[in-house]
Amino acid sequence: MAVEKLLKDEATEEKGERAKMALFVGAMAIADLVKTTLGPKGMDKILQSTGRGRSVTVTNDGATILKSLHIDNPAAKVLVDISKVQDDEVGDGTTSVVVLAGELLREAEKLVASKIHPMTIISGYRMAAECARNALLKKVMDNKEDAEKFKSDLMKIAMTTLSSKILSQDKDHFAKLAVDAVLRLKGSTNLESIQIIKKPGGSLTDSFLDEGFILDKKIGIGQPKRIENAKILVANTAMDTDKVKIYGARVRVDSMSRVAQIEGAEKEKMKEKVQKIIAHGINCFVNRQLIYNFPEELFADAGILAIEHADFDGIERLALVTGGEIASTFDNPESVKLGHCKLIEEIMIGEDKLIHFSGVALGEACTIVLRGASFHVLDEAERSLHDALCVLSQTVGDSRVLFGGGWPEMVMAKEVDELARRTPGKRSHAIEAFSRALQAIPTTIADNAGLDSAELISHLRAEHHRDGSAAGIDVISGTVGDMGKLGISESFKVKQAVLLSATEAAEMILRVDQIITCAPRRREDHM
Amino acid sequence: MAAPAVHQARSSKTESYVDNKRKDDIRQANIFAARAVADAVRTSLGPKGMDKMISTASGEVIITNDGATILNKMEVLQPAAKMLVELSKSQDIVAGDGTTTVVVIAGALLKQCLTLLNAGIHPTVISDSLHKVALKAFDVLSAMAIPVELSDRESLVKSASTALNSKVVSQYSTLLAPLAVDAVLSVVDPAKPDLVDLRDVKIVKKLGGTVDDTELVKGLVFDKKVSHSAGGPTRVENAKIAVIQFQISPPKTDIEQSIVVSDYTQMDRILKEERNYILGIIKKIKATGCNVLLIQKSILRDAVTDLSLHYLAKAKILVIKDVERDEIEFITKTLNCLPIANIEHFRAEKLGYADCVEEVSLGDGKIVKITGIKDMGRTTTVLVRGSNQLVLDEAERSLHDALCVVRCLVNKKFLIAGGGAPEIELSRQLGAWAKVLQGMESYCVRSFAEALEVIPYTLAENAGLNPIAIVTELRNRHAQGEINAGINVRKGQITNILEENVVQPLLVSTSAISLATECVRMILKIDDIVTVR
Repeated sequence: MAVEKLLKDEATEEKGERAKMALFVGAMAIADLVKTTLGPKGMDKILQSTGRGRSVTVTNDGATILKSLHIDNPAAKVLVDISKVQDDEVGDGTTSVVVLAGELLREAEKLVASKIHPMTIISGYRMAAECARNALLKKVMDNKEDAEKFKSDLMKIAMTTLSSKILSQDKDHFAKLAVDAVLRLKGSTNLESIQIIKKPGGSLTDSFLDEGFILDKKIGIGQPKRIENAKILVANTAMDTDKVKIYGARVRVDSMSRVAQIEGAEKEKMKEKVQKIIAHGINCFVNRQLIYNFPEELFADAGILAIEHADFDGIERLALVTGGEIASTFDNPESVKLGHCKLIEEIMIGEDKLIHFSGVALGEACTIVLRGASFHVLDEAERSLHDALCVLSQTVGDSRVLFGGGWPEMVMAKEVDELARRTPGKRSHAIEAFSRALQAIPTTIADNAGLDSAELISHLRAEHHRDGSAAGIDVISGTVGDMGKLGISESFKVKQAVLLSATEAAEMILRVDQIITCAPRRREDHM
Repeated sequence: MAAPAVHQARSSKTESYVDNKRKDDIRQANIFAARAVADAVRTSLGPKGMDKMISTASGEVIITNDGATILNKMEVLQPAAKMLVELSKSQDIVAGDGTTTVVVIAGALLKQCLTLLNAGIHPTVISDSLHKVALKAFDVLSAMAIPVELSDRESLVKSASTALNSKVVSQYSTLLAPLAVDAVLSVVDPAKPDLVDLRDVKIVKKLGGTVDDTELVKGLVFDKKVSHSAGGPTRVENAKIAVIQFQISPPKTDIEQSIVVSDYTQMDRILKEERNYILGIIKKIKATGCNVLLIQKSILRDAVTDLSLHYLAKAKILVIKDVERDEIEFITKTLNCLPIANIEHFRAEKLGYADCVEEVSLGDGKIVKITGIKDMGRTTTVLVRGSNQLVLDEAERSLHDALCVVRCLVNKKFLIAGGGAPEIELSRQLGAWAKVLQGMESYCVRSFAEALEVIPYTLAENAGLNPIAIVTELRNRHAQGEINAGINVRKGQITNILEENVVQPLLVSTSAISLATECVRMILKIDDIVTVR
């Protein structure tokens, strides 16, 4: 007798072989999609939105590509997630993590096909990952003590991160920008106080770092354009009128003069509010909401610089960097924390006028102004710079560094290989597979650069057979080169995150033997 | 590292590039799409370039020669094609002129890229060589440039008229070019001699007359009528001008209000009160000696009523109503006055002063001119006239280009020859440079050097000359050291283009090259189009 139907209509269930198939294929498809963006000669993708405006994004950033994909396959979703987490945690290596996870699954598929139980594969992968991590730990370099060397490490890391991005041609310039910005933070990983402003026009090399804070707003008419020793009140309040927010409130009067009186009273209220604000002893007032003509004039009369309609992000940051608090009532001037800065002035970038706050209370705050030919370039530049900043701030926290260019993968692969030889039992196949998956990363880098990967990787492996080798792929000349001399470095934290989260994701997907897709939720028909 | 290994590795180094089919297809599709865009605007290049007529979705017809405008209105969908449109926009922002040139150069470079890709060269190698070409091109162009002083009005006029020559309004270039120069120079702030904010130059269009009647007004022009009801003055001398942001109409509160009338005697009283209220405001205005009133548009309530206009007319105050809020800043800057947002703040020191405010009829419309402003801010107004809307719009765009050209010269005080001379010289020098380089780069640089010949080629083609003969001769002359030889389209031959007064700002040429290469490099690096949410 058939079992009573277990699942809802339209819900599907896939089991055993089929489920595994679907997962492997999905994960590998995603990995292959972003694979070509890996490495300094990786390619970009156009993301064409199907939504309104059909906006176009050009990017090289794995996380950005994956985030915007339509995905139905559950395994693919897992990979997208690890890429996102990588982006949030360390900011870079978003492509590597997906490629590595994809390769691990590709190898696992072969093992499963040769009748090795997924659990055996998992335990092999675990051992291999642990061993690989230890191999890296043994090889890390830490220059925290030597400030000079540490800075050069940071420069190298920034250059390596940027070299795969659109900024690669001007990487010296941008690496310096990023390092300067991160060093200003003095060890904190709070990237909030680094503000990035994009202004089209000029070229990428015209981008610059400026201390202080820049607000993309205009100064009100007839107000001072330059203030020294500014006291800033950041507020979020209605500067039109304090409306009575009771529904249906209305005034009944019996003559015109009464109406005029009420109007006068409303104006008076506004004036009072302005007086209260002025009573804080400020000379700059920044409001998130509109400031109407009337209060604007009052401020102008009092010689106060009033900035209206600053966006939410803008005022929060402004409050943060000037050390003030966002106020919305003004009855107790003593309880409101005012922001301070040495100088406020109007500056011109390209064709636009902006307001520059310099000498702010939060000394680490700075602004990077990006210039570039078009919005596509600027957006991509911002993403690249963000990656670099993230990696750098992580490195400042954990100063261990590694060489780049496929070096760490080869080091790990070598150790893992040795482990495989020592390990008895079926697990050793899985460990061996892990080592092959690790080598897929330098292979992909070489492939993307149009180099003969098989040849290069074998040379690389031979080089690594000697202890203490610093050999990696020099993509520019297309040879095996000394990463130490070429100055290609990566942060240990990034590599470790790539290794661990890729292994975990692969493990998770391997464990699955059944996929149940729930029936899509239907929209209620109101008719 | 072991030396032999390196040696072997190098021998195996292959920059040849075999990619899978799909990627090549996408790259080709992108390049084809981008080139289609470039071909579309190609015929509008140069003084004898043709115009395009675009009929927009809303049924409006635009005739223009301006690359940025054409591309903007084309509404392309293909992503790579869109990038070319963006490219043209960027050039418009940076230099304001050369919007067609930049797209044509990008198209020619892409054509060469396609050949290089087909030869199996890796896109990143091509991209890197392009970057080097751009840097080298900058050096070559800078070496060709001639410094110019802002006091050298003649040179500025020459370059402005070169920009205007390719436009519909080219026959008026003798009028418009000096006008553009004067307009820009009058807003240059001596404190910041390198910066010009073109927003300080206001262009007012008025249908009627011909482009000949276009004039530069030292003062303000409003494309509006003076309020005529009740016969107010239309001309005021020794004007005291107030810009107000409040309304002269019956009061209205923010809280909903209603006046309850219970008997007819009350009605009379209310009417009287309304009158008194308005009269009160006007008396206060009159008391400061103000005789011209600019009233900001209000959405909350009527800015003025018939009643208040009547009283204002009686008080001999000239009224201009419905001034937009975003114009207020320009107006106050020009008049050197402050906006007044409340009747209580209506004080004499907030007024602006001008010798004359008058309404002038132009054809069927009327405008208001304010001239002889005391302590005028660094702004200026250009009144553009034209016999029909299409000419008028095109004249405005052309004037904008001319203004931008002058602005470029203020930003970067160098001139360069026009008429295809810089491009052919670049092509020649890059070709020579390619011989010094090694490997793939040399090959790529040589192709790009050839690609740059597209500009003189197209110039000649559009002028109906034999492009091959012209370009060959041009190349010849440059090889003999005449770096300023260019195509003289009017005479249909090669002459020293500097003597023909065909010059353009250096910034236009350099930004065209750097932006075009940047865009091409971006297109090259794309290997997939992913559809996303």
